[in-house]
Amino acid sequence: MSYYLGLAQLIGIHTLLGLSAYVLMLTGQLSLGQAGFFAIGAYSAGILTVIFELPILPALLAAAVIAAFFAFIVGFPALRVKGLMLVVATIAFGEFVRLFFFNLSWRVPRGDIEVGPDSTNGFREIRYFVANGWSPWEITTFVWTFVILVMIALWWMDRSRAGAVLRAVGEDELATQSVGVNLTAVKVTAMTAGGFIAGIGGALYAHTATYVDHLTFTVLLATFAVSYPILGGLSSVFGTLVAVIFIQGVLVEGLRFLGDWRNIVFGLLIIIAMNLKPDGLFDARTTRILRRAIGLGGREKSDA
Amino acid sequence: MSDFLLEFVEVTQTIGDGLFFGTTYALIGIGFSLIFGAMRKLNMTYAAAALAGAYVGLAAFTFVNAPAPVVFLISALASGLIGGAVYITCFRFIPIHNHLAALMASIGALFFIDEIVVHTTDGSPLTFPAMFEYVMFELGPYGIRGDLLFVLAVNIVSTIGLLYVLYRTRLGLATRAVSQQDVAAQLCGIDVHRTNAVTFVLAGLLGGIAGSMTASAVGVLSPLITVPLTVKGLIIAVIGGLGSIPGAIAAGLLVGGMENAFLYFRGVNERDMYVLLLLFIFLVFRPDGLFGSTVDRD
Repeated sequence: MSYYLGLAQLIGIHTLLGLSAYVLMLTGQLSLGQAGFFAIGAYSAGILTVIFELPILPALLAAAVIAAFFAFIVGFPALRVKGLMLVVATIAFGEFVRLFFFNLSWRVPRGDIEVGPDSTNGFREIRYFVANGWSPWEITTFVWTFVILVMIALWWMDRSRAGAVLRAVGEDELATQSVGVNLTAVKVTAMTAGGFIAGIGGALYAHTATYVDHLTFTVLLATFAVSYPILGGLSSVFGTLVAVIFIQGVLVEGLRFLGDWRNIVFGLLIIIAMNLKPDGLFDARTTRILRRAIGLGGREKSDA
Repeated sequence: MSDFLLEFVEVTQTIGDGLFFGTTYALIGIGFSLIFGAMRKLNMTYAAAALAGAYVGLAAFTFVNAPAPVVFLISALASGLIGGAVYITCFRFIPIHNHLAALMASIGALFFIDEIVVHTTDGSPLTFPAMFEYVMFELGPYGIRGDLLFVLAVNIVSTIGLLYVLYRTRLGLATRAVSQQDVAAQLCGIDVHRTNAVTFVLAGLLGGIAGSMTASAVGVLSPLITVPLTVKGLIIAVIGGLGSIPGAIAAGLLVGGMENAFLYFRGVNERDMYVLLLLFIFLVFRPDGLFGSTVDRD
C-alpha cells in the first residue's frame, strides 16, 4: 500500500511541477527553467525545517514565496526575449540554480551530527514527516491538499478575466498589447505564479523524499515539467493531471520491468507525440471529440 | 614585481589555453547557429550527436584499431548520419512554423541518444586515445601543447570549409535562400526539405569533428558532459547572436577564454556558474548577441 501512496505523492508533486509550466504556457512562453524554481523550493523548505526548525506549513509557504521571488527577478531579463531564446535563457537559469546548490554547503551542528546542505553530497536530513510521526496517508493527503488547492485556483482563474488576459497574450501578443494590456506585467505575473507553484512542489518533494541533491534538478526534470502541459494540452488544468498520471503512473511505473531502459521510452514518446500531434495530445480537436463522446458536446468554449 | 610577472604569465597562459578550447566551443556554437540560421529552429540534439559520433570513432579505434585520421573521419560521418536521422524524426514532418514542437521533439531525441550512449557504455567514462605524440612548443615563458595546436588547426580548417560551402557553392546558396525566405526559395524550385536535410548532415559532420577532436585532446569521453555541452553550445550561439556564424566563433573564443579565467580565479566547481551569468548579462544588455540581427529573433 505504501508503494501506491508513494506513487500518489509523486504524481501530486509532478502535477504541481507541470502546472507551474502550464501557467506560463498559457501566455505562450515555454520555460525549461521550472526545475530551477522547484530546486529553490526544495532547498529553501528543507533549510527552514531542518536548520531553522520551523513547522512544515510556514516553511512550505515561505519556500513558495522565495521561489516566486526568484521567478519575479528572473522574469524581467528572461522575458525580454521570447520563443526559442526564452527556452535558452530558462535552461541557463535552471543550470545556474543546479550549480548553485552543487556548491552550497551550509552545515550546522545538531546534537552530535551536522545537518544541512552539503554541496556534492546532497541534503540528507529532511526528516520532518518522520520526526513528527506522520503516516503515509497523512503525507499523501497533505500533498494532494495543495495539488487540489492549486488546481482549483488555476481553474477559477481560467474562468475569470485574468485567465482571458493570459490566453490572449498567448494567442496574439500584438493584438493584446494594442487593446492596452501590459505584456511585461502579464508575463512576469505568470512567471511569478509559476515559480510559486513550482516552489510548493519542490518543498513537498524535499520532504517526501527526505533527501535532495543537485542531480535531481536537471534539464530532464525541466523537460518533464513542460511535457505534461504539452501532452495534456492547454484547454484545462485537468489535461496536465491526466498527462502526469499517464507518464508517471502508466509509463514510468508500468514499464518498470524495462529497468533503466524506460528513460529511452520517454524520449521516444516525446518524439512520436510531437510528430503526430504537434499541438499536444489533447489539442482543440481531440478535446471536442472527447467532449462529444462523453455527452458534453456543443457546450465548450470556442477555443477551436 | 617578479611575482606579479609570474602571476601574469600564468593567467595569460590559462586564458590562452582556454582560447584553444574556445575554438571547439565555437564549432559547437556554429552547429546550433547553422541550423537556427537555416530553419529558425533549435536542434537540441547537436552536442549529443557530436558526442555519439566520437563514441563511434572510439569504437572503430577499439575494435579494429583504426588509425587517427580514419577515427576522426568515422566520427564525423557517424555524427552526420545522426544529424540526418534527427532531421527526419524531429523536423521533417512537424509543421514548419511550429518551432516549439520541433524543439520538444529534438529534446526527446537528445535524451534518446544520451540514454543509448549511457547503456552501451554502462555510463562510465571511457579513455579516448591521444591521437598524437605529446609535443610541447616553448614560446618565451609560455608553453603550447602540440595536440591543442592541431585541434585548433583542424577547427579553423573546418570552419573555413563550412564558410566556403555556405558562400561559394550552389548548396550553400540554397541553404541561405531557405533561411531567408522558405516560401520564396520553394517557388524558385529549391527543395526545402532536401536543403534542410543537407544542412543537418553538414552540421553533424562538423559536430563529429569537434567531438572527436576534443575527446582526443581531453583524453576521456563521458555521457555526463552531453547536457553541459549542449547548454554551453546554446549559450555561445545566443551570445554570438543566433544564426550568426562569425558571432558563434567570437563567442566561442570569448567563453573559452573567460571559462579558464574563472577556473583560475574561482575553481572548477564555480566556473560554469559564471559562464551562465555571462549569458544573463548579454540577455539584459544585448539580447541580440554580439553579431545578431534585431529582426526574426523569435
